[in-house]
Amino acid sequence: MGDNCKDILNKCSRCGGCQAHCPLYSETGRESFVARGKIELLENLQSGNLDWNDSLAEIFSTCLLCGSCTENCPNGVRADKLIMSARKDLVTARGLPIIKRNIFQHLLKYNGRLNKAGRLLSVYQKSGLQKLMRASGILNMLPLDLGKKESLLPQIVSKSFRENLPGLNKLSNPRFKVAYFTGCVTNLVKPQVGYSLLKVLGANNVEVVIPEQFCCGIPAIASGDIETGRFLAEENIKQFVNLEVDYVIMDCATCLSTWLKYPELFANKEAFDLAKKVIDINRFLVEILDIKIFSKELGIKVTYHDPCHLKRTPSGRSSPRELLKRLSPSYEFEEMEVSDRCCGSAGSFNLTHYDLSQNVAQHKVKAILKSQANVVASSCPSCIMQLEHSLKKKNLDTPVKHTIELVADCHQ
Amino acid sequence: MNEHIIKKLQNIVGKQYVITKAEEMICYSYDGTFQRGLPAGVVFPATTREVAEIIGLANTEKIPVFPRGSGTGLSGGSIPQNGGLVLVLNRMNKIKEISKEDLLAVVEPGVITGDLHQAVENIGLFYPPDPASLKTCTMGGNIAENAGGPRAFKYGVTSDYVLGLEVITPTGEIMRTGGRTVKNVTGYDLKRLMTGSEGTLGVVTEITVRLVPKPKDKKTALVIFDSLDSAASTVAAIVTEGVIPATLELMDKLTIQCVEKNARLGLPLDAEAILLMEVDGSTVQVNEDIGIIEDICKRNKCRKIEIASTLEDREKLWKARRAVSSAIVQLKPTKISEDATVPRSKIPEMVRRLQEISKKYNIHLPVFGHAGDGNLHPNIIADKSDPEEMERVEKAVGEIFKAALDLGGTLSGEHGIGVMKKPYLKWEMGEVGLSYLKAIKNAVDPNNILNPGKIF
Ligand SMILES: Cc1cc2nc3c(=O)[nH]c(=O)nc-3n(C[C@H](O)[C@H](O)[C@H](O)COP(=O)(O)OP(=O)(O)OC[C@H]3O[C@@H](n4cnc5c(N)ncnc54)[C@H](O)[C@@H]3O)c2cc1C
Ligand code: SF4
Ligand code: SF4
Repeated sequence: MGDNCKDILNKCSRCGGCQAHCPLYSETGRESFVARGKIELLENLQSGNLDWNDSLAEIFSTCLLCGSCTENCPNGVRADKLIMSARKDLVTARGLPIIKRNIFQHLLKYNGRLNKAGRLLSVYQKSGLQKLMRASGILNMLPLDLGKKESLLPQIVSKSFRENLPGLNKLSNPRFKVAYFTGCVTNLVKPQVGYSLLKVLGANNVEVVIPEQFCCGIPAIASGDIETGRFLAEENIKQFVNLEVDYVIMDCATCLSTWLKYPELFANKEAFDLAKKVIDINRFLVEILDIKIFSKELGIKVTYHDPCHLKRTPSGRSSPRELLKRLSPSYEFEEMEVSDRCCGSAGSFNLTHYDLSQNVAQHKVKAILKSQANVVASSCPSCIMQLEHSLKKKNLDTPVKHTIELVADCHQ
Repeated sequence: MNEHIIKKLQNIVGKQYVITKAEEMICYSYDGTFQRGLPAGVVFPATTREVAEIIGLANTEKIPVFPRGSGTGLSGGSIPQNGGLVLVLNRMNKIKEISKEDLLAVVEPGVITGDLHQAVENIGLFYPPDPASLKTCTMGGNIAENAGGPRAFKYGVTSDYVLGLEVITPTGEIMRTGGRTVKNVTGYDLKRLMTGSEGTLGVVTEITVRLVPKPKDKKTALVIFDSLDSAASTVAAIVTEGVIPATLELMDKLTIQCVEKNARLGLPLDAEAILLMEVDGSTVQVNEDIGIIEDICKRNKCRKIEIASTLEDREKLWKARRAVSSAIVQLKPTKISEDATVPRSKIPEMVRRLQEISKKYNIHLPVFGHAGDGNLHPNIIADKSDPEEMERVEKAVGEIFKAALDLGGTLSGEHGIGVMKKPYLKWEMGEVGLSYLKAIKNAVDPNNILNPGKIF
């Protein structure tokens, strides 16, 4: 653990304030699930009272990294950062769990090879994913019955979004030139988000280039495998740094927040320069383009879920809402209760801790129902997948869409 | 802990509600202080009956039991001493009843205080006790510590609202005391004895509290003073002229500087004191009160007064007060919250003594607290990893207590004695008082099962 983390650790007064904000504490009522308990354990690890073991590995894997504790801590303790760093220490001390090692090494390997071949991540394509899952015994290791596992596995499209597209939509006299980082979920599971984004930007005279790119690295980083994370970050920086663009656009809140952390992984000029250009699509449309949307009167009631990774970035709460309001009278925005509460998806957390994750999501389902919305909007493809699953589980067919999909609908 | 006892506990509450793994138990070794103590087991009962069975078992087997709500205590009250069983009451978190007619609420001990506030305010009622930890702490913990809060000046503390309790005695029997009436003089007032007993005389399993109608209106004033004395004479004048603000918070110079440095709210760095006051009641009353306050502040040569009515504007004024906690720990990481309390008239003298103590021991000692009730909350800001400094801190704490007692005050206004203030109890209570306390404890808890090692 670095000095920086020790300082953060020292600041925690054990006031317990985080209990009121931690979605996992509110489900379980157990101290080991909340920041305060984990910080006490870290102090015990630090002083040599404890060594990393299975129980600690499980405790530290049980956190959504939603940052709610950090945002509300009266002492400014960045608990999510500490937990992330603890996972790194855990990996150093004990290596990655087999399940994750398999996934990340495939990520790395295939990325590297496919990079040359000019195609990406075939490992995540239908046959590849299944093969990987089977070969690595991952499915057997998850504490779920087979039906649940299958229903949670993302439905991978047969041809990825990026494969289907030319790398550039050249415009003669564009207002802006942007690069688009698609993220894995848009690329492989939700290509309609990508098409919507291109449609809206094209209609608004923005030139888009889609360079070669890799997974942003968050699955590895969040699991403590910083090395893989760095590798992926470095490759991404290489691909984007020399592009002559005004902005780097993201539709995935999680990728966005990872890119914003690249300078923490590499304190070099490239990482800093790029982090300055990175912008969420909602904010780009509202603040940069100041988009006007002329829509017809449909009066579809839409509510919004704040992705944890977007709400704490600049304008991360306001711009998606502003965007939705500009869709009136096609869509009428209605704030739901607990709109900024974590949906419980948190990367692979919904696979490794299925029941807990679903319990967290049920608060959202209730709020969505209460809002009587016809459609739920959000700005992170992972949150969208989680909400879709949890709604379906309650036999509800309320669609969950990316804000950009709704904007695209209003562009005829 | 012995296998067969663990089995029995599991039989009472269910297997998943007993913790014996070392790593998970470490998470029950602390509260809001820097005290620590490891349990030998942690158990989470869901009903009164389960609590009674656990205590019965503990009494037979002579296992100490340490009740715990949310573990936000500031005197080490819930911390285990040499093993024993931590009894966490947060699964018992139902609000059982809110009666508009009888103006009362019946709750289980694990209900979060802030949740009760919301539930009663939704229907136009009001539960005044408002410890700053209200989003986290439990009603059971509030009863056990007799918690207060900023509103105590006008509305009183927890014990002023307790109508009735259901308690598991240290030998595992179920007892009810008090009831649903404001008047009740049948027998000793055991509910009062239980309130503030810090989990040493019984485990509270059901609480009936009195409610009042929710005040219709509120106004807030933030007033800046060039001298501590004029702030103090303002407080005195407000009280003598018959205005009782719902809150009357004082921030001293060091606190103001910390807040301004961190939160940049435009507070003047050279001011000696800030008073934050809130009046509530009917609109007519609120307007009249705030007028009187404004007048008094001006007469006492305040530098500046800001008054806010809307929720939004009031929140702006509160920002300074809410920023205190995080601001002062930027000085150094360890915060030791004291709550020695003095009679209102002695506030200026107490603040002066605190400043002397701060100088003498070379420690940071920002003062911000409830000026209305003399509960000043001197906070020592130190670094617990510096043993030399912590030694000075300990001496300073002793002197703070002495100063408070000298001025006719008390060791603790609201946090309780726990383990932190044990050594000083005799100063305030004397030998006779102390043996009286012990006699009561021995009589009801002959095996010293419930929260041993606390208070005395
Ligand atoms: C940031 C912060 C601000 C605070 N502000 C205030 C304030 O303004 N005013 C104030 O008064 N206090 C304040 N406190 C102190 C603390 O929150 C209160 O003492 C509160 O009442 C403790 O509640 P808890 O549920 O956390 O109890 P715990 O800390 O878990 O326990 C406290 C004591 O109560 C006993 N106990 C708990 N539940 C039961 C039960 N059901 N039956 C019997 N005994 C029980 C425990 O054994 C222990 O002795 C503050 C604390 C923090 C960290
Ligand atoms: S992390 Fe922050 S909120 Fe949680 S116990 Fe520590 S200081 Fe309090
Ligand atoms: S990051 Fe979220 S889940 Fe993790 S401890 Fe903080 S509030 Fe809880």
